[in-house]
Amino acid sequence: MRKIRILLADDHKLMRSGLRVLLEQQADLTVVGEASDGREAVALVASHRPDVLVMDIGMPTLNGIEAAAQITQSHPEIAIVMLSMHSDESYVLRALKAGAKGYLLKDSAEADLIRAVHSVGEGKSYFSPAVSKVLLDDYIRKLKRSGTEDPYDLLTPREREVLQLVAEGKSNKDVAQLFNLSVYTVETHRSNIMEKLNLHGVPELILYAVRKGIIS
Amino acid sequence: MTEDNLQSSKRARKLRRVLFLAFGGLLAMMVVAGLDALHSLRQLDGIERQVSQRYSTHTQALTTILISVHVYHDRMERYLLSGESPESGTNVADVQNCGARVRDALQKYPADSEPEEQALLSEIQQKFSEQENAFTVLVRQQVGERPDERQERMGEQMMLRRAYILRISRDVSSLNDRKLMEAEQSMSASFRSVQTRLMSMVALSLLAGLLLSLLGGFYVSKLERQGRTRYQELVASRQELEALSARLVDAQEEERRSISRELHDEVGQTLGALLVDLGQLSKLVPAEDKFLQGHITRIKSIAEAAVKSIRNLALLLRPPMLDDLGLVPALEWQGREISRRGDMEVDVHSEAVSEQLADDVKVCVYRLVQEALMNAARHSGAKHAQVSVVQSRESIHVQIVDDGSGFPAERVRGMGILGMEERVKRLEGSLAIKSSPGKGTTVLAEIPAQRLEQR
Repeated sequence: MRKIRILLADDHKLMRSGLRVLLEQQADLTVVGEASDGREAVALVASHRPDVLVMDIGMPTLNGIEAAAQITQSHPEIAIVMLSMHSDESYVLRALKAGAKGYLLKDSAEADLIRAVHSVGEGKSYFSPAVSKVLLDDYIRKLKRSGTEDPYDLLTPREREVLQLVAEGKSNKDVAQLFNLSVYTVETHRSNIMEKLNLHGVPELILYAVRKGIIS
Repeated sequence: MTEDNLQSSKRARKLRRVLFLAFGGLLAMMVVAGLDALHSLRQLDGIERQVSQRYSTHTQALTTILISVHVYHDRMERYLLSGESPESGTNVADVQNCGARVRDALQKYPADSEPEEQALLSEIQQKFSEQENAFTVLVRQQVGERPDERQERMGEQMMLRRAYILRISRDVSSLNDRKLMEAEQSMSASFRSVQTRLMSMVALSLLAGLLLSLLGGFYVSKLERQGRTRYQELVASRQELEALSARLVDAQEEERRSISRELHDEVGQTLGALLVDLGQLSKLVPAEDKFLQGHITRIKSIAEAAVKSIRNLALLLRPPMLDDLGLVPALEWQGREISRRGDMEVDVHSEAVSEQLADDVKVCVYRLVQEALMNAARHSGAKHAQVSVVQSRESIHVQIVDDGSGFPAERVRGMGILGMEERVKRLEGSLAIKSSPGKGTTVLAEIPAQRLEQR
């Protein structure tokens, strides 16, 4: 079986070595390199071509989000798991916009890292349960205080299915095949979803899905 | 500095005293000159009145003498020509009577006359006495006698005497005239002297006034110069103060940032690594070993609490979002953070906000919003707050509106508001706070464009 090749990027040596120990206990995971800042991460990705990049957001010279954006541009096939201290929407959305597939809180890294690496390795997304919870709490609180309805209720069952698949990273073509629909119909569903939920772009859609617990 | 000030103020006081005295002196001089002139004029007026009175009494007295002399001689001649006859109405007693009148007139001549005048008068008196005597002799001889040669000679002599008396009278008159003229001359001389004195006083006052005004001008210009110097000093020290407080804000921000980084990166990450290791450890220890597992769980929860408090502290000091994500996400984060903790819901709206904002602008807006939201959440009981950040070509416009209880904005000026003002002023922006009890609060700030982009 082919091992999942992982690159670690964190400016703290202690953190990196802790994570490395954690990952290398798994038989199917191997750490191929360590970077101590964003620039080094970009360089090492180009030379090592890992499957998964586990990267801290707060790093000197080039922070994790900007490094992720550059890497997504040059190597879209590499799955990025962002490590962060923050469970706030601002970070999650930025990470998603930068192309990250997973978002992991450092507090729970030790418990969830393996699962996260596996998920993104398989092309799925992964979010720390704590992140999903914070996002959902914020969302519900806001709805309650403003007294508005959850627009999720406005979605048709088919639109909900499409939402989940798109959030999981499926393309329009995949979705069309799965439901035996035309790509055009799937596109219409997508734009309806975006409009009903007032979302702009896939990252916001993924964030919404995480928030609603549709994906994790 | 203070000694200098003391000395200069002492000098100024001295100068002021001198000026005061000088002006007082000038005024006194003018008053004295005026009074003196008035007094002299009054004196002159008195003298003139006296002189003219004297002249007129003397002239009058002299005229009376002359008239009486003429009348006497007229009567005498008439008597001598026509003798004592009832037709002509003349007699000796009548002539003698006229003579008495002449003497009377001579007697009444004012006593204040000059020796020269006195001499003339006594000569008139003497001549008249001679005349009277001659008349008496004539009258005695005339009784029953024809006039003879001697008599005729006597008559001639009498005529001569009369002419002499009249000439002396004229002399007296001209003497009086001369006296009057002299008096007038002396008066006009003293008038001239008064004039000269007054004029010299005026000239002197003018000169003194000129000097004084020069001195005063010098003093005023010196004061002005001093004032200008003080003003410049004041401006300079205010600028210094502003620069200092700007530096203070910078230093504070820098310190916060470094402490925050230190806490977050060093302490926080170390604790994070510790947590990872603890996880490892708990996996290595058999699940059945409840005692050890319990210990590990406890240590973990302590470490987690420490991580949390360190992180909160670091966030408060300097939110890494500002550096990691930029202004708007940091503001959104802050809004949510406040919403999570309390009852106030915060909406953040932004328009065209550049991601390349200069660091001090980001920090300024961030702290401004932070302060305003904190105030609203803590003190106003607001349920909702709206943050709006709009960037245009000219400026960046920040507005924070809450629906809380408000406060009398014109009276309340806390440290927080002062801090906001300080930050905004540093970027050459303006801050306005509109609030009144029961009407919520609006904080408005505008920062001009030239300060926005990164330098």
